[in-house]
Amino acid sequence: MDGHENEDVGFQHGSEGILNCPSSRMSTNPLPEKVSAMTMSSVSMYKPSNGADPFFGSGWDPLVSLSQSENFGGSSMVSHGEYPPYPVVMENQGISTTSHLVQYPSSSSFVELVPKLPCFGSGSFSEMVNSFGLPDCSQIANSGCPQNYASNKEVATGRTSTNGAHSKDDQQVSGEGAIGSSPNAKRRKRVPDSNNSAFSPNQNGEGDVQKDLSGDSSDGQKEPDEKKPKIEQNTGSNMRGKQTSKQVKDTSSGDAPKDNYIHVRARRGQATNSHSLAERVRREKISERMRLLQELVPGCNKITGKAVMLDEIINYVQSLQQQVEFLSMKLATVNPELNIDIEQILSKDIIHSRGGTGAILGFGPGMSSSHPYPHGIYQGTLPSIPSTTPKYPSLSQNVLDNDFQSLFQMGFDSSSAIDNLGPNAGHLKPEN
Amino acid sequence: MTQKGVTLNTNSHKIKFARSFIRTLLKMRKNAPSSSSIEEIRKRSQRIKIAAYSSIAHAVGSRRAWSRAILFKLRNRARHHGMMRRRSMKKRVVKNDPPGDQSKANKLRQLVPGGKAMDMCSLLEETAHYIRCLSTQVKVMQTIADHFSK
Repeated sequence: MDGHENEDVGFQHGSEGILNCPSSRMSTNPLPEKVSAMTMSSVSMYKPSNGADPFFGSGWDPLVSLSQSENFGGSSMVSHGEYPPYPVVMENQGISTTSHLVQYPSSSSFVELVPKLPCFGSGSFSEMVNSFGLPDCSQIANSGCPQNYASNKEVATGRTSTNGAHSKDDQQVSGEGAIGSSPNAKRRKRVPDSNNSAFSPNQNGEGDVQKDLSGDSSDGQKEPDEKKPKIEQNTGSNMRGKQTSKQVKDTSSGDAPKDNYIHVRARRGQATNSHSLAERVRREKISERMRLLQELVPGCNKITGKAVMLDEIINYVQSLQQQVEFLSMKLATVNPELNIDIEQILSKDIIHSRGGTGAILGFGPGMSSSHPYPHGIYQGTLPSIPSTTPKYPSLSQNVLDNDFQSLFQMGFDSSSAIDNLGPNAGHLKPEN
Repeated sequence: MTQKGVTLNTNSHKIKFARSFIRTLLKMRKNAPSSSSIEEIRKRSQRIKIAAYSSIAHAVGSRRAWSRAILFKLRNRARHHGMMRRRSMKKRVVKNDPPGDQSKANKLRQLVPGGKAMDMCSLLEETAHYIRCLSTQVKVMQTIADHFSK
């Protein structure tokens, strides 16, 4: 289930999840699938460097809304790096995506079909789960959704459960496809606008997304064929486990969040409950923010894991605040110089003090430790400020205030503050 | 992926902060004589710290939740400075979570101004912006300190 544990697992096992994908096609172990599925979103945020990247990078369609971009990332992870990621789920057994897509009605009908989707879920999920054959897809494509269900039901009854996963994919895919209309590119653009949420029962979201992204390329149509067997095997176990129970109750939620909501599509192998969908969106947002923070906080490039990252963030904010306090104390002790020029000089310096590798950089990194800044700052808050400066180890031989600068160089690994202060101090000297 | 709202035009904030802060510093210097007693220095440093936060909050304006929280706090402080101070001294009850129960998210909420009322997602976003502005603040203050100490 898309529990929080999955996300954490996904965070930490992000790389594992991706690596698992190619190898665990046949695996019936649901966990790696879940992990990989979960890691799709979380890891995708971290721009993994596997083969799926070209898709990820090139396919970052600005047209796609944020949630879908997250889905993109997730789906791109599914592509085991061997194939250019492509819609996936569409395929069942032996039916080419091309045939699927070609038959689908135009995107205009997509909109019409969309409202009917809810019945997709409300209908006979259990029957759908039972699966139906591929040939149904063509029928589905040409008919409206309700008809699809009817035909699906008929076929479904005759199938074995082994096909269940595939058929499920197929049906949903076809449902998607019918709505999705023209192959690849066009579909995705519609989908965000209209009712992604309605598609919650589908793992097709992933497939659709990828279809769109690669839509312009002719490869798109070939790829699903290749991907198909893998994807199905991957998520088959997931689907059986999760889908049957969840989807029955899912459906009606598809309707409601049509209008002002961020539309999310359930990825393949994911539970499609609206709550879990919303939760997944929220988790992906959070992981995206965490990634941003990772770039901001120095020395956090290698950290994977929310807990450790949060610790680092907290430490960093605390250290910054302590620096402010320390600096304010230092400023309180400094003899006031009431030159009116100060403002202009400092403004000029501050403007000019862009990132530049100053001399400080030379020993900045040298001073770094695993948790640099707390040590540096704690020293800074020692009492009796005026006399503290001699206490600090004088580390630099350059023009800056040795004691003060060294304090902060101990504090920062590669903080740009140091970078900026380098040239800044350099400017100060000659002007004085 | 567009990360709306997190990209910060640091330079403009930097300049605004620098000007405002320096102005405040000069004002303070003019008003208060330079005293060397520890107590006086502590008071002055406290005032300087408030001035620094106020300057950076004004530089950022009302765009971010944390700057709004700081400005709100400052205004309330100014408003109640005379009136409520004596009365509220006794009533001020500081609720602290038992130390063992504090989760990391709560810690972060305490650190970031206005963080208590935010959900995790916006808290992280505000933290990112806050970190950038704090580092700007530190840079400028350090420059000023360097300049003064030469």
